[in-house]
Amino acid sequence: MSQPYQSGAPSAGGADFLPRPRQEMEYICADCGAKNEIKSREPIRCRECGHRIMYKKRTKRMVQFEAR
Amino acid sequence: MSEATPKIRIMKGAAPDLSAATYQIFDETHTMGNALRWMIMKNPKVQFCGYSVPHPSENLIQLRIQMFDGLSSLNALLEALDNLDGVCESVEERYLVSLREGRYERWEEKS
Amino acid sequence: MSQGFDPKKHVALNPERVSYTSSTDFPGHFADEDHSWNPAEFKKRLAVRVERISNRSIEFDLVGVDASIANAFRRILIAEVPTICIERVYVHNNTSIIVDEVLAHRLGLIPLHVNPVFMDCVYHPDGQPTDRNTIVFKLCAKCERRRNAPKDAKDPAQLYINHEVLSSQLEWVPQGEQSIVMAANPPAPTNPNIVLVKLRPGQEIEIELHAVKGVGKDHAKFSPVATASYRLLPKVILKKEIPPHLADKFQNCFTKGVIRVDPRTKRVSVDESQARRETMSREVYRHPEFEGCVQLARVRDHFLFNIESEGFYPPERLLPEAIKVMRSKIRTLREAAQGLLQDIGVVEDVEMAS
Repeated sequence: MSQPYQSGAPSAGGADFLPRPRQEMEYICADCGAKNEIKSREPIRCRECGHRIMYKKRTKRMVQFEAR
Repeated sequence: MSEATPKIRIMKGAAPDLSAATYQIFDETHTMGNALRWMIMKNPKVQFCGYSVPHPSENLIQLRIQMFDGLSSLNALLEALDNLDGVCESVEERYLVSLREGRYERWEEKS
Repeated sequence: MSQGFDPKKHVALNPERVSYTSSTDFPGHFADEDHSWNPAEFKKRLAVRVERISNRSIEFDLVGVDASIANAFRRILIAEVPTICIERVYVHNNTSIIVDEVLAHRLGLIPLHVNPVFMDCVYHPDGQPTDRNTIVFKLCAKCERRRNAPKDAKDPAQLYINHEVLSSQLEWVPQGEQSIVMAANPPAPTNPNIVLVKLRPGQEIEIELHAVKGVGKDHAKFSPVATASYRLLPKVILKKEIPPHLADKFQNCFTKGVIRVDPRTKRVSVDESQARRETMSREVYRHPEFEGCVQLARVRDHFLFNIESEGFYPPERLLPEAIKVMRSKIRTLREAAQGLLQDIGVVEDVEMAS
């Protein structure tokens, strides 16, 4: 059905996305919604409210689908 | 004509003079199959005509035509195609005349 | 006026079954009748009458053709008249609660107001998009809180900006020559009020959409009609006089207007002009006192078409488009058969030569 978007596809495609060099990942607190940067081996804990559940952000990469 | 997929193919077993033959018609369905069958059957030189869709996953129909007096079934097919075109032409013409005359009810439909 | 039941012209409706359903108008079927194809005879019987037209549907009668022809038109209307629909969806961002796949499917179903003659078909799904076969839309929306919303507001429309993304927010991005060719009728959804997604503050969508030309047999979204159907004209055939004291009861067995009862003599007759309204409920057959009084039937070659348009075509243009498709199919078949005829000639020559 759907495949991840391959570069160099349609004429009117979006901006090219280059994977950024390794960085702290940004997460969103499930409780208060604050942005949190968590480095590896750091405790998973919100800096604002101490909640321990985090959401990963949606990919910035473009995804192609067939409208079927 | 040596294309990869021809539009029409005569199946094995047809009479050499084509007085009886089965035609495989690709990319066609009941739409053309039944209409053609009917028009071919209107030909008094045709002994038998029938069509089938052998399998729904194969995009083709098979049209069997048998003729009287060793006549060519291919000619009957061509004749039927011409007649069918005439039918379409007449229907369209009458439809457009009726539309132009404007003797119909006009109403407003909410969408 | 109504004659008797004729199995050559009518299909009989009996209490629990139908009979005389097949056409018999073929040469050789009856010993003393011809029935071979006769264009003049056909044109004499043929009638097409437009009965009703609205902004989105049409009703017309097609009289004097075989079911196979009427059915061909119906099938072509549904499955083979091309239209333009969104086919590829490039999601840059979608933080709404509708997942990408479902949203893509939803977007595909939007009927678009684009004249298909301006577009070529792309048969290969991986074919290169060009300004001749692809129309590009953008859909970008971000939901935010409304600053000056009243304190006690509960209505999302008061609280948020963009809480609903509507089809009117699809933004056409002209490609190449499209800005000139389609300037008079810029591509847009036929209905501007379709809710595509609901958003809440912080959610946003950013999508690019590619619309292409296709046919209903590939995917139902490409079908230019909501429904295209026909039925046969109902016919009520009185076989003997209805006793005057039963006239009103008899009348009530049918749709209002179909049966006339003379107020003075209580004589029963059929109003042929209203026959099409009859629901064919077969209620008369339930009453033993009417046994043998009436035969319900349908006229085998009188088709009552009802077509509802959905998408670009105004309802009255649908049948001509279907006929155009049918004639082009006939043309390709003709060319192929002609080619076959020539091939066979060649083969025979070769055989004779060897």
